[in-house]
Formats: sequence, C-alpha cells, structure tokens
Amino acid sequence: MVREREFPKQIASLEEVFGFLEGFYAEEGIRTRTGLSLSLVVEELFTNLVKYNTASRNPIVLRLSKEDGRAHLELVDRDVDRFDPAAVPEVDVNAPLAERQPGGLGLHLVRAIVDRITFAYQDRVLRIAVDKDLEPSDV
Amino acid sequence: MFEIRHAEDGAILLCGRLDAVQAERLAGVFARIVTPTTIDFRELDYISSAGLGILFATHKRLVDAGGALRLVHLKPHIRELFGIGGFDKLFELE
Repeated sequence: MVREREFPKQIASLEEVFGFLEGFYAEEGIRTRTGLSLSLVVEELFTNLVKYNTASRNPIVLRLSKEDGRAHLELVDRDVDRFDPAAVPEVDVNAPLAERQPGGLGLHLVRAIVDRITFAYQDRVLRIAVDKDLEPSDV
Repeated sequence: MFEIRHAEDGAILLCGRLDAVQAERLAGVFARIVTPTTIDFRELDYISSAGLGILFATHKRLVDAGGALRLVHLKPHIRELFGIGGFDKLFELE
C-alpha cells in the first residue's frame, strides 16, 4: 500500500511530516532505530527542497511504501527548476576543523543511510526516490 | 519534543528530538556560549544536519578562541551519524 500526503513547502511542516512517518512505521512494524534513520533522510530532503528549490510554493508530496523487504520513500516537488545533486559539493569528512565547511552535510548523510537514491526531473517536476533495505526485524 | 536543560555543573543537556525547526532555538542558546562547555547527549534521540551544523559552528568559534565543546553520552545511533559526517574527528566525544 502506498501512503501519500501533501505538506506545505515550509520548514514548519516537519512536525506533520514526522507524524505521517511515525504512522507508517507503526503500521508496517518498522523498528525505532530504522525509523529514526528514515526520518532523518526525509527531513534532509524536505528541508533541501524548502531552502533551495524556491521557484514555487506548491506543496511537497510525500509517498511511503514498504515492499519486498525495503522501505520506499518518494518526494515530489512540482513546477520547480532543475535540481542537480551532482552540483552539490562533496563533503570532505576528513578535513581538519579549520578547513571544514559546514554545507552539504545533509545530502552526505542521506547518501550514506539509504541503499538507492534517484533524482528525476521532467516537465518541471522533481522526483526524489530513495530505497532503504530493511533489517530482518523490520520485515 | 525538544528540550534544552542547564545542569548545575554548567553542562547543557539536550533532550528529545533536535530537528530543523528546533535547531533555530538551539542556535539562540548556543550563540551565548563563550567558554568551554560540556554538552550532554544522554537524552537526545534524534539529530539532523541542522543541529549538527550548529554544534559545528559553535565548536569552531570556541576553538578559534582557545576553547571547545565537549560532547558526552551520545547514543550509539547518534555516534554513528557523527562518524558518517566526520564529526568524530572534530569533537572530543566521551
């Protein structure tokens, strides 16, 4: 079953987003630790869309499903300019404090946590889809 | 829910979930830190890049002034995030 909900494109929507996610975890038996990781992924992607994809204020669509031992999350942002994740500089996690830059950490964390991520852009619609393979205790 | 508590020994306890909304509140509190300070994570369940960014900026400011933040009692999943982000090399973690 795919669960879908729209959220106003603002940081303040996060509380509602987390509520939606926690309902999904409860219904699907996804354990707390995995849920925290998935919530982090959604927060990072959602806030990136709010902060950097400002061409429209259309609500952001969030879709959630669990199938074949993996959680599938999709965020859809409509009527927006192209977002190129490859243009986001890689974080140098080995840089010393004096040279470390604060930006880019969110996408770095997302890439480390999920098993697959795709960015698709067509007709001014951006779709970000992520899969996370679940632990046996989540399945 | 997210709470910031001040312990008698000067440590700051972070409790609950520190997301991008709550990070704005944390930024206001951390902007007032001017001396080496211990941040106690024992009751913190969640942190995202917004909170990590404030920790980073505060720590860097203090190090430049000859101090530092000291982070204690991180839960394993939060310590793992610090490792992914390379923050375990930037902070003193206990």
